[in-house]
Amino acid sequence: MKVVVDMTLCQDHGQCAIAAPEVFRMDEDSKLVFDAEPDGSLSDAVQDAIDVCPVQAIFLER
Amino acid sequence: MTQTPTAATPPLSWDDLAYLPVSDPSFSVQSDAVRQARAQGWCARTPYGLAVLRYDEVNKLIKDRRLRQGSWAWPAHNGVTGRFADWWAGWLLNMEGEDHARLRRLLNPAFSPRALAELSPTFVALANELVDGFAATGECEYVSQFAEPYAARVVAMLLGIPEEEWPAIAEVSATIGLAMGVTFAQELPRIEDALDRLFAYCDAIIADRTANPRDDFATTLVLAQRDGERLSPTELRDSMALLVFGGFDTTRNQLALAMKTFAEHPDQWALLAQRPDLGKAAVEEVMRVSPTVTWVTREALADFEFQGLTIEAGTTVHLFSESAGTDPLAFADPSFDITAEGRVPHFGFGGGAHHCLGHFVGRMDMSVALPILAQRMPDLRIGPGAEWMPLSGNTGAHRLPLLFTPQS
Repeated sequence: MKVVVDMTLCQDHGQCAIAAPEVFRMDEDSKLVFDAEPDGSLSDAVQDAIDVCPVQAIFLER
Repeated sequence: MTQTPTAATPPLSWDDLAYLPVSDPSFSVQSDAVRQARAQGWCARTPYGLAVLRYDEVNKLIKDRRLRQGSWAWPAHNGVTGRFADWWAGWLLNMEGEDHARLRRLLNPAFSPRALAELSPTFVALANELVDGFAATGECEYVSQFAEPYAARVVAMLLGIPEEEWPAIAEVSATIGLAMGVTFAQELPRIEDALDRLFAYCDAIIADRTANPRDDFATTLVLAQRDGERLSPTELRDSMALLVFGGFDTTRNQLALAMKTFAEHPDQWALLAQRPDLGKAAVEEVMRVSPTVTWVTREALADFEFQGLTIEAGTTVHLFSESAGTDPLAFADPSFDITAEGRVPHFGFGGGAHHCLGHFVGRMDMSVALPILAQRMPDLRIGPGAEWMPLSGNTGAHRLPLLFTPQS
């Protein structure tokens, strides 16, 4: 599983970090950092993050 | 984004800030005083703390974790305890940290855009049915004939409540809405009575979907689980009741504000009728220049410095969404234009951890409704007798007579 975030769309709301904290988190400056190749066992959480992103900036590359 | 002031940031004193009387009933977020204060600096003083007026600073502070959502202590400020206060404390909006994250994770799936996409044709049919009721006459009282039934029936559809029961949704929401006003404590018995009726509705839906699961929004909510956790019966009921209350009023008001904005821009209304594909852009533009939530409140969790200003723990911070949305520093041409490209996002749905949970529903139902209204209500004008809420807090119309050229 490869996670891609369109950083031109990302607004750092942090909803992905709430939905899938194992993969996405907000750093000290409230900016997004994420694991681009998370374990396959986290696919449901990643899908929730993709769904919840207010600007729909998260994608899966297969 | 740097949150600590650099050496170049000069200190800013509260005494030097412009003053905005936000609690005055005649105060307007679109007043010259707000425009002047925004030209002077990024913030102003208010009777209740700070007002943030520019896009960049609103964008930073709305996501800043040194602030929590601002209205959590409202019942306590009014001396209100009991079941209304308990419900309020359990609102997703009023929770923070891991409690908030857990609840949000469990509520999110019901609101996913994939789950909601199939509702679009139902929204089209609903909008057309409501317009059928007045299209031939060339006039309507838009709040009672369109905005209110549309918003309430969308909520009814989501929850699987019979749509003809929509007036009950509107009534309980309006009564509970009294809790947001100055007469909160006096009205508490009526408010709690409405809340009891809303809870009874929600309990019945929860019991039904638990026993008879179907492929619908309410069932997704009732059966939600994540990491071995489920919503407790109280969490389910409280959240469902918040969804009814939070989803109805905001949509009704935003739909009224959309008509005001388009009545002031007839060329844009005609364009939307020709190009219904601009429905989504129309919603974003309306919410940028005329959001129902005119400010989002936050409260400082600890003392901190921001752009040279000391913000003490407990300070209420009003993030002005309309002022940010029309800030000339962020929008080279801030005028209303549904074809504009490259706009930065507005704050009409808040932002950060508390970004509106139901925004995909609101965006979809309004983006479906506006092109239908534009096609079926050409030459839109506001008729005599419109009654507007103050342009502060959560705004909208009580009554909005509209005139248009009837279609044959």
